[in-house]
Order: sequence, then C-alpha cells, then structure tokens
Amino acid sequence: MKGILLMTLFAPLAGAILNGFLGTWFRKKAHFPAIVAVGLSFLGSLVLFQWSLQHPLGQEWILYTWVPVADLRVPFGLLFDRLAAIMLLVVTTVSFLVHIYSIGYMADDPGYRRYFAYLNLFVFSMLLLVLANNFLLLFVGWEAVGLCSYLLIGFWYEKKTASDAGKKAFIVNRIGDAGFLLGIFTLFATFGTLEYTRIFEIVQSNPGYFSGVLAAATLFLFMGAVGKSAQFPLYVWLPDAMEGPTPVSALIHAATMVTAGVYMVARSHPLFQEVPQIGTLVASIGAFTAIFAASIALVTDDIKRVLAYSTISQLGYMFVAVGLGAYTAGIFHLFTHAFFKGLLFLAAGSVMHATGGELNMHKMGGLWKKMPHTGWTFVIGALALSGIPPLAGFFSKDEILASAFRTGHTLIWGVAWATAFLTALYMFRLIFKVFFGNPRDPALYEHAHESPPVMTVPMWILAVLSVTVGWLGLGEESSLFHRFLAPTLGHLEIVPPMVEKEAGLGLILLSVAAGLAGIWLAYQMFLKGSPNPTALAQRAGFFYRLLKGKYYVDELYQTVIVTPIRGLAVLTFRLVDRILIDGTVNLTGKSLAATGNVIRKGSSARTRTYLFWVLLGAHVLLWFLLKGR
Amino acid sequence: MNFAPLTLELLLAGLILIVFVVDLVSKNPKVLAGITFVGLTILFFLNLLHPWYGTTFQGTFVSNSFTGFLKGVFLLAGILVSLGSLSTAEEQYRGRVGEYYILLLFSLLGMLFVVSARDLVLFFVAFELMSIPLYILAAYQKDSEASIEAGLKLFIFGTFSSAILVMGLALLYGTTGSTRFDVLAQTLTEGEALSVLGFLLFLTGIGFKVAMVPFHMWVPDTYAGAPAPFVAFLSVAPKAAGFAILFIFFLQVFANLALPWKLVIAFLSGITMILGNLLAIPQTHLKRLLGYSGIAHIGYMLLGVAAGTDLAIAMVLFYFVAYVLANIGAFLFAETAIQNEGTDQLSALHGYAQRNPLLGLYMLIFLLSLGGIPFVVGFWAKLYVFLAALKAGYGLLVFLAAVLTVVALYYYLNVARQIYIEKPASNDPVRVPASIHFVLLISTLGTVLLGLYPKLIVGPALEIARAFVAGL
Repeated sequence: MKGILLMTLFAPLAGAILNGFLGTWFRKKAHFPAIVAVGLSFLGSLVLFQWSLQHPLGQEWILYTWVPVADLRVPFGLLFDRLAAIMLLVVTTVSFLVHIYSIGYMADDPGYRRYFAYLNLFVFSMLLLVLANNFLLLFVGWEAVGLCSYLLIGFWYEKKTASDAGKKAFIVNRIGDAGFLLGIFTLFATFGTLEYTRIFEIVQSNPGYFSGVLAAATLFLFMGAVGKSAQFPLYVWLPDAMEGPTPVSALIHAATMVTAGVYMVARSHPLFQEVPQIGTLVASIGAFTAIFAASIALVTDDIKRVLAYSTISQLGYMFVAVGLGAYTAGIFHLFTHAFFKGLLFLAAGSVMHATGGELNMHKMGGLWKKMPHTGWTFVIGALALSGIPPLAGFFSKDEILASAFRTGHTLIWGVAWATAFLTALYMFRLIFKVFFGNPRDPALYEHAHESPPVMTVPMWILAVLSVTVGWLGLGEESSLFHRFLAPTLGHLEIVPPMVEKEAGLGLILLSVAAGLAGIWLAYQMFLKGSPNPTALAQRAGFFYRLLKGKYYVDELYQTVIVTPIRGLAVLTFRLVDRILIDGTVNLTGKSLAATGNVIRKGSSARTRTYLFWVLLGAHVLLWFLLKGR
Repeated sequence: MNFAPLTLELLLAGLILIVFVVDLVSKNPKVLAGITFVGLTILFFLNLLHPWYGTTFQGTFVSNSFTGFLKGVFLLAGILVSLGSLSTAEEQYRGRVGEYYILLLFSLLGMLFVVSARDLVLFFVAFELMSIPLYILAAYQKDSEASIEAGLKLFIFGTFSSAILVMGLALLYGTTGSTRFDVLAQTLTEGEALSVLGFLLFLTGIGFKVAMVPFHMWVPDTYAGAPAPFVAFLSVAPKAAGFAILFIFFLQVFANLALPWKLVIAFLSGITMILGNLLAIPQTHLKRLLGYSGIAHIGYMLLGVAAGTDLAIAMVLFYFVAYVLANIGAFLFAETAIQNEGTDQLSALHGYAQRNPLLGLYMLIFLLSLGGIPFVVGFWAKLYVFLAALKAGYGLLVFLAAVLTVVALYYYLNVARQIYIEKPASNDPVRVPASIHFVLLISTLGTVLLGLYPKLIVGPALEIARAFVAGL
C-alpha cells in the first residue's frame, strides 16, 4: 500500500516538475502529463479507498525523519485513515474532472503549460496537507496550497485586478496563518511533539488536564482555518479570488483548498473536544458567516461572485457542524459540497465560455435554449445546494441543521435554517436571470453557444455525483457515511434525522420547506416580476444599499487597517530604510568591494610576491607558536 | 606479508596498466575514458561494498573505515572527472588522451596511499605521487599560454611547498629518531624549538596543498588558466586528501605536542574565510570566482579541524561529499560555457537559462548548494560543521562564518542572476556534450537527494569519525 500511497501523493508533483521545467517539450500537449499524473492519483485513491474498507483504523508510514533539530524531531510521515480516504477521493475526483475540463476552457491561453504545472502542484500540495501525519507537514501543505492559490488567482497577472486579488488572498491568509503557527508552537511547547497520534494520545489519556492550554491552541488553529476557509472576518479574499480562471475557482476555491480548515478541525477533533467553549465559538462564527455571506449573495450581480459568497456561506455550515462536535456531518457536507459547488463553478465557466467572459447576470437571460447541457447541470447543482431531496445537499445540510437543534443550540439552528431559505433564493435568482426569461442583450444571446464535450462531460459526471453521493447518508441506525468514518471520528455524534425516522421528520419537513419557499419566491420575483424586485429594493433603501455595498467591510478594512499601515510603511521606508539601512548596507558593500580591490592589488600575479607573502605568513605563525615561552 | 589491505591500491595500479596497454592499441578517447570510468566505478563500489580493512607493512599502512570513506570520495571525484574530461580530451588532447587518464589515475593512486600511510617516508612518497601528475595535467593544454602558466605556477608552488614539507618531516625525524607515526606521537610531547619548527613547516606545506590563507595564492591563477575539467578534480580531491592528512597528523602525530595548534588553525580558518569570500566578490570570471569561493570553503572546513571532535570530523567528511558534487558540477558548467562561448566571463553567461533551461537549472542547484541554501546538500554541510564548531566553543568564529555565508550568497546569486535574469546576447542553444551532461545530472541528483536525505551520509560519517577517534 505504501507504494500506491506514494504514487498517489507524488504523481502530481512529478507532473508539475515535468511541465514546469520541461514544459517546452509538450507545448500544446501540456495537459497530457498533467492529466496522466492526476489520473494516477485518482486511481491510486480508489485503490486506497478499497483498502481502507478492510482496514478501519488506517496506517501510518514514517518515510524518514525530516527535521532532526535538538528536541524537535519531525518525521516526513503519512497518515492514511478513513478521514484521509474521504478527502483523497474528493480531491482527486474533482481535480481529475477539472483537469479535463480545463483542456477546453484554457485551450487558447498562452500560459497553457504554466497553468497545468500550477494545477498539478496544487493537487500535490493538497494531498500532502491531507496525508500529513503531523502539524508541521500539514502546515507545509497548507502554505503550499496557499501559494498555488495565489499563483492561480493571479494567473492572468497582466490584469491589475487579477494580480491584486492574488496579493489580497495571500496577505489575508497570512493573518490566519500567523495564528496557525502560534497554534503549532503552543502544541509543540506543551507536548514536545507534533505528530497527531502522539498528541491525541496524551490528551485523551489525561482528560481535562490540558483544557487551559488547549483552549489557546485550538483558538490559534481555528484562526488559521478562518483565513484559509474564508470565514468572517477574513473572508474578504475569496470573492476577489474569482479573478482567477474558473476551473481554478471550482477546484481550489470551492471544492478543496477552502475546505482545508474544516478538515483541519475534524482532524484535530480530540483537541477541540476538550474545549467545548471554543467549539461553540467556532459554530457561532460559522453560523454568522453563513447568513452574512448568503445575504450579500442576494444582491450580487456577478455570477461567479454569487457562487463565491455561497461557498463562504456553505463553509460556515461546515464550521457549525464541526464546532458543535458533529464532525462527520461537517465532513459529509464538505464531501457533497465539493461535488455540487464544483459543478456550479464549472457550469458558470461554461456560461462565461459561451458569452465571451461575461459575468453580469443582468445581461443574460434565456440561455437555456442555447446551452441545454449547461442549463440542466446548473439546475441540478442549484437544487443540490438548496437542499431539495433526494439530491446530495439535502442529506448533508439536514444533518447539520439537526445536530444544531439536537444539541440545544436553537439560535444557531434558526440562523442556519434561515440561511437555507436565502440559499435557495439567491441560487434561483441567478438561474432565472441567466437561463430563463427573455434575452436582455441580443448580441450576447446570438453569440452564445454550448461548450464542447470536453467541458460538458465532466460537468455531467459531477451532476450525477451531486445527485447520488447524498445517499451515503441513508442507512439503518447509523448512515453509511457515519459508519465508515466512525473509526476515525468516533461515535460521539448526533444520530442523523434520516435515520431517526419519526422524530426527525418534522425537522426534515421544515428544512425542505425553507428550500422550496426560496425557490418559489425567486420564481415569483425574478420570472413573474411580482413582487417587483426593483420596487422592493427601493423600499428597503438603506438595507439594500448595505447589502449592495457588501456591508462595507472592504472599505472598513481599507480605512482602519490598510491605510494606516501603508502610511507607517512609507514613513519607515523613507526614514529607516532609505537613510539608515540602505546607508549602512551601501557603506558595508562599498567598503567590502574596496577592501577586495585593495587586496586584489596586493595579490598581483607575480610569483616572487606570492612567495614573499608565504614566508611572511609562516613567520607570523612561528612567532605565535613560540611567543609563549 | 599481508597484502589484503592493499587490494584497492593494487587494483587501481592494475587499472593504470590496462589503460596503458589499451593506449598502445587504440587512441580513441571514448575507449580510454570509458575504461577509466568503468574501472573507477567498479573500484568505487568494491570499496563501498567490500572494503579491505587491515594493517600491513609493520603497521605503516592502515586501511580502515576512515580511509575507506576518503578513498570513496577520491574515487567519486575521479569517476565524475574522468567522464567530464572526455569532450575536452577529444577536442584538444588528440593523441595524448591515454597519458591524460594515466596521470589522473596516478594522482588518485597517490591519494589512496597518502591517507593510509602511517610512516613519514611512505607518506611523503605518496604525497609526491599525488602531486606531481597534477603539475603536468595543469599544463596539458599545450597550445594555451594560460594553461602553461598555470602548470608552471602550480609546479613552482607545489615543489616549493613539498620542499618545505619534507624539511618539516626531516625535523620531526631529527627530534624523535623515528619515522613511524605511533612512535612520533609518543615522543613528540614537549614543544621544543625543533619540533615546533617541524610542525610549522609541515603546516605550511599542507597549507599550500589545501590552499589556506596565506598559502593560497597559486589557486586563482591556476584555476583560471588550467583546463576546467582538471580544475574540477584539483579543487576537490587533493583538498580532501590534505584535510585527511591534517586530521591524521593533528589527532595522532601531534596529539601530545604541547602547542596551541587549535588556536592557530582557528585563526587561519578565520582569515581564510574572510579573504576567500571578499576576494570572490569583485571577480568577473567564473573559474576565478569559484577558486576564491573554494578558498572560503576551505576556511569553513578548517573550522571543523579546529574543533577536532569526532562530530567535527564527521561533518567535515560530509562537507566533502557535498563539496565534491557541487564544485565538480560548477566547474564542468564553466567548461561548457568555455566550449560554447570561448570564455568563462560572467557576462558571457547572460540568459543561459533561456538558451538551455536544464543547464541553467543544474548550475542554479550547484550555486545554491555552494551558497548553503536549504534544502540542497550544501546547507546541511555548512549547518553541521558550524554546529560542531559551536559545540567545541568557537562561537565567535561561527558567527563570523555565518555572516560570511551571507556575503557569499551575493556572489553566488550574482552568477545565478547572469544566468537567469540578464537578457541573452544570442538565442543559439547551448550545446552540452553528453558526457558532461551525464556528470552534471549525477551531481545534481546527488546534491538534491542528499539535501532531502542528508542522513544517508551523516549517519555513516558519524560512525566512522567515532571509530577513527577511538582507534587513535
């Protein structure tokens, strides 16, 4: 198994190296090594999944001691258990499909091979993040996916907005990562090791003993998750990240990287379990983010940004689950969300492809007739997201709602329930504006065309998955998904409502009703025109402007943080850097160069001079050796 | 008489005879280089897998894990250079290729003997066997004035230093009446004037060989003038031998001599580092730059000698593996540049990475390793030697070394800048001979692999050093 695991992990790295350094050999065939590499990973993770069915506890492989410095001994070790198996499946499946889709989407881009090199590198980094057996190696993957995200957001770096968005993502994530690092330091200072299994063992054998320090550690770790998984207040980078190519948004900013924070919390659940207060904080931030982002999505006109806010909102759901201790429910939602949100992004990319890169939904309309495949798959994705049975999102979202309700967090449940309604509303607002009604821009409508099969086939595969994967949430007594993850994540959780039969029925009906009501309202407002959305917006006045301005969070950050820091930076640059440091450095450099030149003159190429120096040196040494007597 | 410990040396002598005979039959450079390469590779693996340890000649010839490791380093250098010289030999040494390889092998044979010798006479003979072929090889480009000058300079300084060395050895013999190391170690206890002078002359002689300041001045001229593949050899193998000699003499022969030799070495290490690094900065030619940077590396390694602990010895051994790979690689890159551009001026390297991305990448990795950037092997080598010196109490010197490492980055990365950032003058692809390409690939792989997994060498090196110190 070790061999297959290594192949799964390193094949994308090999692909990235091939394309990155020898890409000129492939030119327009750059997708070939990339897809072979990811395909190998995909096959590998299928085999590994098969293996994990028979080995519930998984296995750890230490390849070698990576950092042996004093007390810090960090192995390059891989941990493959059932949680990793699920993550591996999600990452490689979506990656593989996105790679194929990209052949069509990126076809004429001059940066074709650079694109595939980055994409491969991302897959490797993500797999490393998932498979690491210790926090430091996790952090390596964590930073590496961040780097790839930065590179891919700013992929079209000639465009100022794109390169700015890349920088923004990188810098905002840095804030979270600083917290994450502090968390790692805290753990190392307390436990003297960074390996999951060892830390968890110590914690679990001394229940309650470490709760003080763990409160700090988990809070720090969660800070990292807030940055990476775009939660309030660090979510601001994700909407801007939509400047990157759309397949990248599907893979990195919907299905995989942004869920790393959720994965990390689930992975370190023995730590979070010790401090329920932090868990409640996590859940509250998740719930707030969920409704906050969903409300912005209501008035956003850019189709990709709607999806971005939706992703933020859905990540909020996942944090609600893991915060309340329903780790399996959180991972289940991560699992289903990866497929339907990936699908929605790919479909949105298909729309962009058809309309020459247009993103404003007000210019579209009636596209259903022009591109039926895109329309159908988009609707399937949206239904799944809105939690309509029997699609995937229904099962996973319901589990989260139920766990909030059952643990007595009624307020969080209420917020999440309201978000479900908003989700259906904004998704179907988008669908009715883009695919139905009359074409608003005739030129655009004329030009629109269905995308080639290389794009639609991956979309259909994801659509099928978006319908079916939720059924893993069915089962007697406990769902299939629960039973599969129980050896890793434990049984401590709430029984899902699907399984609970009668008692759960009320909850199910309520959440389905929220989704259906959202769809119905969207239909009335955006297709029938009554109540008229424009009039409604006018009547809402202040509230509408607040939403339209995205609560002015970006402006707030700009005034409170960015401008003062920049001012300070300019001041420091002029005073300290230019005068003090540059002055010193230049002086040192010049004096070094001058010394070098002087000595060089001393060593002119004459043998006699050389020998003179030799004798002089020898005499100095002799004097030194004999001076003591 | 027990000949088993001598097997490796006898086999190498046999290889010399084979090359000699083949040279009579075929003058084809590829055949001669191939035989040398294959022969040395076989010897390398024999030495690795089936070392012949033991003592012979009444204890004056010793073969143990310490000498075995060093012999491995010499053979590795020989292997890489024998192949790396092929393209130069084909173009410039027509009809004299056989002698070229025979001389190279003779020098190697001298190295194998010199680290095993435990007797002054045997030691000196081996030392000369190692040195004399080098003089000839430096001047092997007969039609190049620079090469002749380099050879002559190396010859004058070499013989001068040999004369000083042999005078020192004679004084040591004069004070003790014995040529055997073990007897010397017991008798050389008090620092009387004669033995102090003997010590000093010995240090001066070896100082030449390893190019420590102030005995370094032949280095830049010789490196700049002599053919690059040969310099690749000259800059690593004899240096490794010189360091082995320093260890053997300081820890065995002079072990009981009441002299502050550690301070002397520490002092020399400091000025060697400073001068080497400073002088490398204004250089405009790659080979000369590498020459000065090589002097700086000698300074770092002397830090290990000054520490003198088993840890330090192990780390210097490791340093040599790192240094052999990166330095031979860098000089062969210089050779490629000379073959393509006719010069090794830094400005001729503009845009090499665009003209041949793979070649640029190789050189970048060598430069990173020489500069000591994680995670290539040079980083660990420096880190470990510095750590060993720190543990031995040379905090100030380690601090100096660390600062100078930063200075060194300037000139290494300056080379990288020429290769990667400057616009190329022409867009002709850079031709790399297959033989050189192969060596570059091996060196790169070694540099990266050991950078990711330094334990592969560090582990054995530690054991060897412990055994060496214990066995004194």
